Amino acid sequence: MRGVVAMKTGATLKHRQRVKTRKKVFLLLLPILLFAAVFIYYPFVRTVVNSFSLVNAKGIIKGFAGLDNYAYTYGRKDFLPALRHTLTIAAVNVPITLFITISLALLANKKRRLSPVYETMFTLPMSVSMSAACMIFKSMFSPSVGFINYFFGLKLGWYESQETALSAVLILTIWMSIGFDFLLMLSALRAIPDQIIEATRVDGINPFRRIFKVQIPLISPTIFYVLCTNLVLAMMTSAPMIIIMGVSSAASATTTLMSMMYQSGFSSSDYGLAAVLSISAFLLTLGFTILSFVFERKKVHYQ
Amino acid sequence: MKKILLVLLAVFFALTSVFAAAQQETAPVQKVVLGSQPVAITFWHSASDDAGPLVDKYVQEFNAKNTYQITVKAIYQGQYSDATTLMKTILSAENYKELPDIMQLDATGKLDYYNSGKAFTIDNAVKYFNDDIIGGYLAGALGNWQFSGAQLGLPFATSTTLTYYNKNALKAAGWDRGPDTFADIIQLSKDMKAKGITMATYGTVPNTPSLANWLGQLGSYVVNNSNGADAKATKLECIANGALKTFLTEWKAMYDAGALQNQSLSTNQFVAGEVAVFTGSSSSISNLLSKVGGKFEVGASTFLRVNSSAQYGATVSGSCLVMFDSDDALRKAATWEFIKYMTGESVQADFAIGTGYTPGFKAAVENQNYKNLLATTPQFAVAPQQLAKTPASMRSVTVGPTVDFYYAIQNEVSDMLKKGTTVDATVASMDTNLQALLNNYLRMNP
Amino acid sequence: MMKRKTRTLIQDSIVSTMAIGFGVILIFPLIYCLAGAFKTSYEFLTPTLLPGSFTYLDNFKEALVKGNLLRYTVNSFIIALFGTSIRLVFSILAAFAFAYYDFKFKNLCFFLILGTMMIPADVLLATNYLTVSRLHLLNSYVGVMVVSFVSGSQMFMLRQRFMSVPKDMREAAQIDGYGDISYMVNVLIPICKPVITTLFVHSFITLWNAYLWPLIVTASSPNMRTIMVGITKLNSWEDENYQLVLAGVCISLIPSMILFIIMRRNMRRGGMDGALVG
Repeated sequence: MRGVVAMKTGATLKHRQRVKTRKKVFLLLLPILLFAAVFIYYPFVRTVVNSFSLVNAKGIIKGFAGLDNYAYTYGRKDFLPALRHTLTIAAVNVPITLFITISLALLANKKRRLSPVYETMFTLPMSVSMSAACMIFKSMFSPSVGFINYFFGLKLGWYESQETALSAVLILTIWMSIGFDFLLMLSALRAIPDQIIEATRVDGINPFRRIFKVQIPLISPTIFYVLCTNLVLAMMTSAPMIIIMGVSSAASATTTLMSMMYQSGFSSSDYGLAAVLSISAFLLTLGFTILSFVFERKKVHYQ
Repeated sequence: MKKILLVLLAVFFALTSVFAAAQQETAPVQKVVLGSQPVAITFWHSASDDAGPLVDKYVQEFNAKNTYQITVKAIYQGQYSDATTLMKTILSAENYKELPDIMQLDATGKLDYYNSGKAFTIDNAVKYFNDDIIGGYLAGALGNWQFSGAQLGLPFATSTTLTYYNKNALKAAGWDRGPDTFADIIQLSKDMKAKGITMATYGTVPNTPSLANWLGQLGSYVVNNSNGADAKATKLECIANGALKTFLTEWKAMYDAGALQNQSLSTNQFVAGEVAVFTGSSSSISNLLSKVGGKFEVGASTFLRVNSSAQYGATVSGSCLVMFDSDDALRKAATWEFIKYMTGESVQADFAIGTGYTPGFKAAVENQNYKNLLATTPQFAVAPQQLAKTPASMRSVTVGPTVDFYYAIQNEVSDMLKKGTTVDATVASMDTNLQALLNNYLRMNP
Repeated sequence: MMKRKTRTLIQDSIVSTMAIGFGVILIFPLIYCLAGAFKTSYEFLTPTLLPGSFTYLDNFKEALVKGNLLRYTVNSFIIALFGTSIRLVFSILAAFAFAYYDFKFKNLCFFLILGTMMIPADVLLATNYLTVSRLHLLNSYVGVMVVSFVSGSQMFMLRQRFMSVPKDMREAAQIDGYGDISYMVNVLIPICKPVITTLFVHSFITLWNAYLWPLIVTASSPNMRTIMVGITKLNSWEDENYQLVLAGVCISLIPSMILFIIMRRNMRRGGMDGALVG
């Protein structure tokens, strides 16, 4: 009976469908949004409140601070270096990781007899966590007992010297992202239907042209994803600074917004500063991400 | 009618206040007899590596041997900083039932503990139990765990900073004793170069604890209120008296003479024979000796002095045990027994032998096993000797922004050496920047 | 014809050798970690790669005992397995909505979920502790997992992948009478299995190594601690014990390696294999 009524006019049908869609979307998004609201945005709102408040060392709000926390944080001598290091890490990490992982994926794309061996080698770094990697790298790059200096006959301080610390951190963060990103690139490349590649071969298109005109555009959704997530991860880098650089005399050469947030804010019970830095990094990263999405509209190709 | 009412009211208030006062007087101290019933207490610690199994062993022994039916549940809560974070999180959520009865704390957690509102300080406990045990501990070891006149905790792992040196290298350069002052380091470096020894002479970067020591030797504090031990530090106290300038001048001289590497050198570098003189914690002695094995002879001497007119000494570091107020008389009494055991003679002597920490309990220093160790391994004896020499006025730094202070000092000194900033400019810059850190803390925590 | 075959063979072997060369560089830190774990503390002071012998097992024994690693491994496994599964389900549902529906506030919702990646966990710690404590989830596995059910990056990856699946496939499925859920379960997930497996492994490893939050939530239940807590127990207060820590890291890597090897096939296989048939 209800069905008959609905069929009477197209408008009601459309309306019904819209309601149905809305209901469906609501149910699909409910779990993730609910947990995001409770465990991420609710505490984050409190962080925003903290940034405008006088918060004592126990984390209790004692009064309104206006923009004092912002003025103090941005006026600190170590703020600009921290911002610079953060942006440097993002600017270096993202393109290099993209280049390495796309190259490796192209290299490994074709299935050869030894494929399983080197594919596993390329992906294996993924099974190591950030903190474990920090411990390994700290030891490997140790100026005295480390293997790197010994093997290359170097006398570099790596994590212990102002000049090399940031580069040494970059080596670590790039290494960390290779395994996972390579795997994504490879499965995207392999998802390109064989017919398409076969067609280019028949047309006699040279391999380089094929890579740039066919394969890369076809995996552009994955490239876009890797670009965005690496950007976010790079902006959020703090683990190497805390685990490796924490006691190093070169610590100031690698401070990032997030490690400053952790060390000068969180660990030092300066919740105002921690809030200001978190919000700043959030807005900055969000800005970059939205920019990337604007770019995506133009360049990324979905099937 | 009104008057009567007023009088009645007045009588009522008077009665209630008298009643309240009477209640206050006769209140608590309900006699609980330890041992009358089983009691369980929780102990949080950060004992890792070699210290971990030792602490477990002491807890097991205590549980097995105590006659009061006390069971201690020991929980490892990560490194000191993590345990402190945990404590802070629980306090900010006011979820006090999650707090332990007793906890191992290092210097960074001191202020948070003091401000917790749930502290059951040693002073409180001594009064509460009428059991004055303070006299049994070494004054130097106790001093580090006082704040604002209160004894917060009892020393558990007590260490100090020493100078370690490669005896073979020094001998080759014609030295039969360890370096004592910065000038010695410069001389040693010259002698080593003259003898063609390529090993670096000395390397470290000053940070909060070492600066407190060097300024302390010159009779100055880094910040006021006895380095923040008597009350919250509000300003720097090493500028006007010239102590910071003296230190920086001597430090720069060492660097300019090529005797100093502006890097914190690790134990490993010393053990690998890359550096001749090394500033390290007294607690790493056993580890250091076992790592060096027989490769060279390790010498230990007191912490370097800024110049020959400076006092000897270095402040104490390490960790203490603090108690929380559980509002449960039985548990408090059990905790008191346990803290006395952990900081008492047998544990302190055994812990010192197993790790290299210095006993904080007087009787433990006289313990026969410990004395035997000092006799066979003289390097162990330097720390207690230095502790005895260190003036009681010398205090480690307690400030709110601990981490920032640490890095700021490191960076300012590094800039002076690497970028060639003058001593005066560095003093001025440290004055501004460290003061700004203190001001910000005071703004948040008036 | 013969010539072309030999040429391909030569090409393949050159590429394979190159690839293996790169591979060795990439896994070198792991080789280093394993070799270092067999060194005695004395040997560790000479910077050579290989230990004197691979029969020196004291570091592993010591790490297992001092760090209580066996017990912690079980906990990490439970937390990582359930946490990852729930996280993945939530992400798949959300990604499906973003890939296939247009609705009001779509962009806002999308960036809200993506934005969760841009907020450092440390500033959320105190408030989340309070929330979890009010929900009476302290000292429980659920309490440890509950904060990690949202993963912006996973949702984002899945949305990318779903959007690359040809639209006509869904239309075809609809004509066959597949509803959304059955399309998701029977068509979409099988097509996207490699990506889903990869995300599973990645997220498993991340949760496997969680440290500060599990430590804080399980303050009174040391038996629920994760493996990273055990590893910090190997570090000494004032000294560097590389060989012991490396042995601990090696042990902590074993389960993720096993998972990795089991999942390897699924992760690498091209996604479109059986799908185009449908």
